[in-house]
Amino acid sequence: MAFFAFAFLVMAPLARAETVQPDDLVRRLASEVTNAVRNDPELQNPNSPKIADIVGRLIVPRFDFLRITQFAMGRNWAKATPQEQKEIVEQFSRLLTRTYSNAIASLKELDIEVKGTKANSNANDVTVKTQMIGRPQPVAIDYSLINSAAGWKVYDVTVEGISLIAAYRDEFGSLVSSSGVSGLIDVLKKKNGE
Amino acid sequence: MAFIRQLILGLSLGLSLAGSAYADETMPAPYDPLESVNRATFGLNDVIDTVIINPLVSVWNGVLPQPVRQGVSNAFDNLDDVYAGLNHALQGRGSQAGTDFGRVIVNTTVGIGGIFDVGTKIGLKKSYGDFGQTLGVWGFSTGPYVVLPLLGPSTLRETAGRGARIVTDARNLLPTNTYYALAGTEYLATRADAKANEGLIAASSLDRYVFIRNLYWQRRFNLVQEGRNAKAGSSQP
Repeated sequence: MAFFAFAFLVMAPLARAETVQPDDLVRRLASEVTNAVRNDPELQNPNSPKIADIVGRLIVPRFDFLRITQFAMGRNWAKATPQEQKEIVEQFSRLLTRTYSNAIASLKELDIEVKGTKANSNANDVTVKTQMIGRPQPVAIDYSLINSAAGWKVYDVTVEGISLIAAYRDEFGSLVSSSGVSGLIDVLKKKNGE
Repeated sequence: MAFIRQLILGLSLGLSLAGSAYADETMPAPYDPLESVNRATFGLNDVIDTVIINPLVSVWNGVLPQPVRQGVSNAFDNLDDVYAGLNHALQGRGSQAGTDFGRVIVNTTVGIGGIFDVGTKIGLKKSYGDFGQTLGVWGFSTGPYVVLPLLGPSTLRETAGRGARIVTDARNLLPTNTYYALAGTEYLATRADAKANEGLIAASSLDRYVFIRNLYWQRRFNLVQEGRNAKAGSSQP
């Protein structure tokens, strides 16, 4: 018994050291992506098929698209059937990945500096503040992350204080009230070229 | 007394005081009772963009090399800094106003008439400020959202602020032709700067009108909140 207790005491700090902190995650994500773009001229072409590959490998696993979609849907989330919910998450994550992938190429000249972390409602919900430098004026970009069984994942991105997902929430709300949940799905599909 | 004067000024511009000027921390939903008119103007602006502005922006980008375009933007930004300083002073943010005016002095002299942003390089950080924000910090609510022809998203309060700037602009002293030439250049430089973002918004939004309205509403709310927080911070010992 004593041995187990001892082992536990020794292991506990080690285990904690292994879990990635949210600011490290953002820092690592930023450096991995910027380095990849700098080292591969093909990624500097916004139309390269390689971009989808790197986005799928490095960025998508770090985003919580279910939470992002729930946040964008707001109280309309409960109005959708489980099947519709699944479809909205799928279409919306496709829209976000596809449109923002094109911006990857511009990271060649930019750097992302982590400025600090702020706890939101609790210790498992934080905002990592960063600054994008390389433009005439630095741009403040904040990443909101939530900790779950799958580790820390991003659920909102705020550019100069403007929440991207909040803007989608207005759009989703306006579409659902004019043409229902199925209408929203139709518009998403059309936007994705389906 | 200063407050009474502010109150009269704001009321004479047709604005109403927000219920709780300082307690409110969460953003109210965009207030858009004129949506159908606004959507019509929004559509008109799109047509003007396609037919006139976009070709002009292409010429602008094609004729002028990037450093020159940046220089032109910087020169207009330098003038913006004068207004940012004035407004930060009106909002009771003395040290921010000091930084703004410091930028104007450094950029106008060392930066050759504002063409080079030397201020940022020596640690005088650029900070945005305008009359609409000042009215918000003083406690006036936005009023309804309005889309202006050519100028795009605004609110009643921000339109009043824009009017105040036009009336007080030193460029009014210039000959009429020069005034309009400068105004046109500034407009084109601003639109050329925004083009990349406009493309991204068009690609990623489902209802562009609603999307842009929300982005604008958040931006204005943040500016006023920033002004109020800074003011609250500076009045404490």
